[in-house]
Amino acid sequence: MSATCEYQAKDYKSDLKPIWCPGCGDFSVVQGIYRALAAIGRPPHEIAFVSGIGCSSRIPGYTTAYGFNSVHGRSLPIAQGIKLANPDLLVLAAGGDGDGFSIGGGHIAHLIRRNMDITYIVMDNQIYGLTKGQLSPTSQKGRTTCTSRYGSLEEPVNPLLYVLAYGAGFVAQASPTDLAGMAATIEEAIRYPGFAFVNIQSPCVTYGEEAQQIKGLKAISENLTALGHNPADRLAAMDLAQHYGQKLHLGVFYRNPEPAPTYDGLVRERQALLSKDAPPAENILDLFIKK
Amino acid sequence: MTTRGIDYASLSLKDALDLAVLIEEEAQERYEDFAAQMEQHRTPEAATFFRLMAQNEAKHGEELAARRSSLFGTEPKAVTREMIYDIEAPDFDAARAFMSPRQAMKAALASEVKAHAFFVAALPALKDAGVKALFEELRDEEVHHTNLVTAELAKLPPDSGLSDEDFVDEPAAQ
Ligand SMILES: Cc1ncc(C[n+]2csc(CCOP(=O)(O)OP(=O)(O)O)c2C)c(N)n1
Ligand code: SF4
Ligand SMILES: [Mg+2]
Repeated sequence: MSATCEYQAKDYKSDLKPIWCPGCGDFSVVQGIYRALAAIGRPPHEIAFVSGIGCSSRIPGYTTAYGFNSVHGRSLPIAQGIKLANPDLLVLAAGGDGDGFSIGGGHIAHLIRRNMDITYIVMDNQIYGLTKGQLSPTSQKGRTTCTSRYGSLEEPVNPLLYVLAYGAGFVAQASPTDLAGMAATIEEAIRYPGFAFVNIQSPCVTYGEEAQQIKGLKAISENLTALGHNPADRLAAMDLAQHYGQKLHLGVFYRNPEPAPTYDGLVRERQALLSKDAPPAENILDLFIKK
Repeated sequence: MTTRGIDYASLSLKDALDLAVLIEEEAQERYEDFAAQMEQHRTPEAATFFRLMAQNEAKHGEELAARRSSLFGTEPKAVTREMIYDIEAPDFDAARAFMSPRQAMKAALASEVKAHAFFVAALPALKDAGVKALFEELRDEEVHHTNLVTAELAKLPPDSGLSDEDFVDEPAAQ
């Protein structure tokens, strides 16, 4: 890690102008990320920021970190590869609710069980924004869209319970109703040694419902600290997470007080152990040649 | 509009001035962002209006900062940006694609009303006479700004009757 030097939020802002719809909640998320990164203070070239496909997945391009707007649903495996190849990097992954919980849903469990030291930010707008307003896995039951003319028949995925049930060590929620809180939550997620998940309710002003816009979110938001929630209590976190969709709990649901070793750390240890007896690099092919 | 960790009862004039500068800075930045969003979406009239609002906020902020430095020089700040949120800045979702000048002005008007409500709500908790006077001044300025924007709104020709929905592509199943 490099020597700490003072960075400001603006140092993480790229020259690329966002093409999100004016008013999109993702504008606040990128601001929250700038502030969190400034508080962490790692230089932009030591940060890798990977996303999938979707409006929200454009986010790495608006930062000065190394960015990869990758393939729909594949931000996590790519982020994992980057972290394993260079564990010194600060690795962020981000995307939408569709990217994370439809096509990419299967990957989350594996990063959690490995406790990869990656922060995963989902911009949850309960819709496929980029493709113009189809049902997403977090859309509420009964929601009418162009793919559900008579109302959705499915129960939504609960992203908070999903990751808590798989055993994620850090689970939090934020929203543009409280930018300072969002920045602090993202910072805490990045500082957590292991897989950290932040669900951000980020309204889609173009295809989102009225109740999911900032005014609606303000009306249902409750701060977890103010509620007296103990973030070390996983069962209490699961209890609170049941209210996803009805209440907007902001802050840290769960932070494992005794984080498990990270997979990237374990791989490093094993590499160090095995490389003691390894032949010199120039003779490495000899291993594959029958004597 | 939220605040955190501000103890109004013990707020000094220096802190109050710093707070007022931060409020103007936040509003300036948001208007600049909105102007950039409008430019990106080829909505030049609304962009011009938001740039003008950003300049106004900057001017006001500079005046307050000058007062602060003439009274308190370079004494360190005790308040931070984290303590205020969306006081005079329009909400993040107040911008819309293809906003008419009227819609842009209405968004600004709502922010001035919001800022006025902030100063009105804070006043009863203040103890220091200088801080009280400053907040009253800022409250009255918000009334003045509200009147100005309302007057400008009245001068505008009526909107075309097209809604922003008319400019949005029909959703398509994928
Ligand atoms: C493999 C593949 N399948 C489908 C798509 C089409 N597609 C692009 S983005 C998207 C969903 C976007 O929704 P979400 O991830 O919630 O992001 P948002 O746009 O709402 O931020 C889909 C289905 C694709 N690009 N690639
Ligand atoms: S379609 Fe929705 S999610 Fe996409 S940029 Fe527009 S407001 Fe944001
Ligand atoms: Mg989405």
